[in-house]
Amino acid sequence: MLKLIFIAVINLAVTLALAPLLDGFMRRIKAVVHSRQGPPLLQTYYDLFKLFGKEDMEGAGGVIFRLAPVVCLGSVLLAALFTPMGGPAPLGFGGDLFLLVYLLSIPGIAIMLGAMSCGSPYAMLGASREMMLVLTVEPILLITLFTAGIKADSLVLADLSGWTLTHGWSISAVIAGLALFLSLQSELAKLPFDIAEAETEIMEGPFVEYSGPKLALFKWALYAKMVIYISLFLEVFLPWPKTGILAADLLSNLVKVFIVIGLVELIELVNPRLRIDQALNYFKGVAVLALVGLAFALMGL
Amino acid sequence: MTREELTRKLTEHLGKALPAMSTAGNMLLVKIKAEDLPTLAGYVFNQLGARLITTVGTDRTPLTGNYEVSYLFSFDRADLFLSLKVEIDPANPVIESVTPVIPGADWAEREVRDLIGVVPKNHPDPRRLVLADDWPEELYPLRKDFPYDYKPPQATVAGPRMKKAPEQATVMTVGPFFPTLEEPAYFRLFVEGERIVGSDYRGFYSHRGIEKLADTVLDYNKITFLAERICGICGFVHSCCYCQAVEAAAEIEVPARAKYIRTIMLELERLHSHLLWLGLAGHIIGFDTVLMQSWRIREQLMWLTEQITGNRKTYGMNLVGGVRRDIPEKLQPKIKEVLAKVESESRQVVEAIAGDTTLLMRLQNVGYLSAADARSFCVVGPTARASGVDIDSRRDHPYAAYPDLQFTVPVYNEGDTWARTLVRLDELFVSIDLVRQALGRLPGGPIMAENTEVPPEREGLAVVEAPRGECCHYVLTGTDRPERWRVRASTYPQLQAAPSMFANQTVADAPIIIGSIDPCFSCTERMETVDVESGKLRVYTREELLKAGRAGCKGGDSRA
Amino acid sequence: MFISKWKEALICLKAGRVTLPYPFVPRPTAEGFRGQPEVDGRRCIGCGECATVCPPRLITLVDDGDSRALKVDYSRCTYCARCADVCPEKAIRLGNNYELATSQKEDLTMTVNLKMANCSLCGKPFAPERLLRKTGEKLTGGEFGQEAPEWLSWCPECRKTKQAKALGGVEAKDHV
Ligand code: SF4
Ligand code: SF4
Repeated sequence: MLKLIFIAVINLAVTLALAPLLDGFMRRIKAVVHSRQGPPLLQTYYDLFKLFGKEDMEGAGGVIFRLAPVVCLGSVLLAALFTPMGGPAPLGFGGDLFLLVYLLSIPGIAIMLGAMSCGSPYAMLGASREMMLVLTVEPILLITLFTAGIKADSLVLADLSGWTLTHGWSISAVIAGLALFLSLQSELAKLPFDIAEAETEIMEGPFVEYSGPKLALFKWALYAKMVIYISLFLEVFLPWPKTGILAADLLSNLVKVFIVIGLVELIELVNPRLRIDQALNYFKGVAVLALVGLAFALMGL
Repeated sequence: MTREELTRKLTEHLGKALPAMSTAGNMLLVKIKAEDLPTLAGYVFNQLGARLITTVGTDRTPLTGNYEVSYLFSFDRADLFLSLKVEIDPANPVIESVTPVIPGADWAEREVRDLIGVVPKNHPDPRRLVLADDWPEELYPLRKDFPYDYKPPQATVAGPRMKKAPEQATVMTVGPFFPTLEEPAYFRLFVEGERIVGSDYRGFYSHRGIEKLADTVLDYNKITFLAERICGICGFVHSCCYCQAVEAAAEIEVPARAKYIRTIMLELERLHSHLLWLGLAGHIIGFDTVLMQSWRIREQLMWLTEQITGNRKTYGMNLVGGVRRDIPEKLQPKIKEVLAKVESESRQVVEAIAGDTTLLMRLQNVGYLSAADARSFCVVGPTARASGVDIDSRRDHPYAAYPDLQFTVPVYNEGDTWARTLVRLDELFVSIDLVRQALGRLPGGPIMAENTEVPPEREGLAVVEAPRGECCHYVLTGTDRPERWRVRASTYPQLQAAPSMFANQTVADAPIIIGSIDPCFSCTERMETVDVESGKLRVYTREELLKAGRAGCKGGDSRA
Repeated sequence: MFISKWKEALICLKAGRVTLPYPFVPRPTAEGFRGQPEVDGRRCIGCGECATVCPPRLITLVDDGDSRALKVDYSRCTYCARCADVCPEKAIRLGNNYELATSQKEDLTMTVNLKMANCSLCGKPFAPERLLRKTGEKLTGGEFGQEAPEWLSWCPECRKTKQAKALGGVEAKDHV
């Protein structure tokens, strides 16, 4: 029990405290590829700090507008408690896999609702794009996790990780892992799929009316979401190396998260933003891939 | 077509003798009756294949008692300009609009109406174009009796008259301030879902009346520097074009060395401008790596021009009659070295992005402009050349050292954003080659003409191929300063063609479509921040701002 | 496609870091750079040539009693160097300073005060002493021999009346 509480604290700490560092790391990579000096590694912390220090504008959209950022960050933190990040997940029960997928789709919905409540046409367009993306990409997450679940014959997250660890990769796992990786870019709202925000087209879309602490909450939630998504992907499809020593496992997970985020950033750096129709086409392909993985799993491969 | 042929054809078409005719350099000046204008303009544009450059409205009341409006045409293949000049009685300042015949005359005619007060009758879009929304009616700043520093009272409420959106469509605004537009411009896109079904434009937010300043307070050489500051990217084009217009009017013989130096600077400017554009285009579609890398390559050119001219962008080299600074022998190896580096690095970038499918997805088949539309809107530069309209004033109306140099003009027929990209990329290498040729042949001798007297009452027209397309300056000389100076920047016709490029595109494509014409709003609007301030400043309270913001959000603009 | 992406990445990595840690490290200017115009108050003779050519007309001459002020408003300078070109005394040169941003508009103005000389006939101040001295120096050795001409110390009005008188004398003689 004590250990679980300890892990819960660790998970929350990693998602909350370390997430901005992840963003700072991405910005450093970006600076290197852009041949420029770039901001310091801790810049994202400074940015959040600054945003929190700004006046909290009441904003245009009433209760929903004000609640959305809180709900967004809250759901991410709750999700953190169900996500294994090296060690076992602090909370878990039969079917927690579905709960997690639901929890992870809440941030997107919160962003959408917040955007719609303020009524700016840019936010509206951003929200509708976000909706289309969520509707196409979230099922991929569900299908791939489900695929792993079929193989492991369990819908408990902890089992999925354990199964891959003991049985190694199967064809279905490789396909599902690939599909999940291909949709990661969109889940993390990175180019070429940062279509809902699209600064140069619709001025950060859903966030156009947000500022100060509320914007900081949103941003923080999105950074935290990166940690969760990547950890989830790693734990289910690439759980190695596992030593069984909690500290070492936590650390190795962290290192892996940084490697993946570096990869994600590199992909972001060599791509322009796609149009929503092009992105949806792409994800239809990825969804088909994920379904193929599922089919393989059903066939026992 | 020669001048004689053109005269003959015009006379034949009119069925009577032309009232008055003269020539100035390669410009044929024909004075015609107002009632003959639409038929002659239509004939010249449609049958003879001329391109409308712009119109010039001049208040000649002190001298002749009339207003004058000239329609300037170019016969690109014949290096011939035609000016159809109409005299208008101030008692009845109305002229039959030619916009129904030549769509590209739209803005030019509205501008004459705004500034001189000659109303184009039957104009399809008679809204205000140039003047601020709170500028009083019936007050025409380019009339001679209007003092240059007069400031009309501000109106408390003013807004642009915008077109109504079609039923069902929502309004997406791009501007007046927008992240990818470095300058103020206001596009209203009428959208259904993501698809654009119509658009409207209000610009000229940076109009500050430099033409007025030129014919009231400045002198010939001061205008050179003002002209250079019309644009922060292709300023040298403007100062060069202005000088050439004055030189043409005054028949000043510019020394060969000065001509070569101008050519070198013009091409260096094109190089930096195209690299700048490439970066911006990348940025607009979210590809910041392209932005940073093409600007990195460009930066070397900026350092180079700083060494040559003393400033990285605003070269300040031109004066009427020649240039002020020589390119010393000792800088030549440096120039060649930078060119070699820029060439190889650009080549790498071009090779890399040419096969980049995600990039192509965003640029191909986006913002299509047909050759017919390009011609009817009188579009110029890379935008025209990407739609198969083969015009380039360096070749068609050779100036500076271009007659001595060999170069090709890249033309593509696809008419989309990618074709416009390709034209510019190809031109990078053409420009590098041109600078090399010019350096290799750089003649000796003086860099400034000995006699730079400018006699009054002469007309001069000059065109220069700016990175964005043909830029045109017209000068009617006066005593000490021009009687009239008219600038037509290359974005002017391009922006008028934008609605046709938006057709059936998505909102996501709008910024890159605007970007693909490489717009320069200040050029178009002729910016200058001194003396004549028509800008109004209003401080909003927070409540007002919120209210305005929300009203704007709900179904668009209530002022429509 | 992947080849393209790879090439793009290579271009970036090969370039290395190129931006400067500006503003912590100053960026040097090229030789012949046109920065903020520096007016040397000790050399300026107040001739006003610079004011005549300055395109944005930011150099003004203000005569106030026995002093003439040359006022420069840097906020409108376009760094064209026309002033430096025409200054007969080389009192203006364009320096290397390009960091003019300031929150105080007064930082961007500069004034040179010159003492005016009095007309030797009517006693009114009419031109900067230095201008007269320089003009004198230029004229001496020329057609006037060693001595500066007397009329140099007359103000324009006095000169005009003198001239008119002299001319009138000549004309009168002619008529006789
Ligand atoms: S550099 Fe040009 S703008 Fe500046 S003071 Fe001298 S003449 Fe005037
Ligand atoms: S031109 Fe030179 S000497 Fe004459 S007023 Fe200007 S700075 Fe002084």
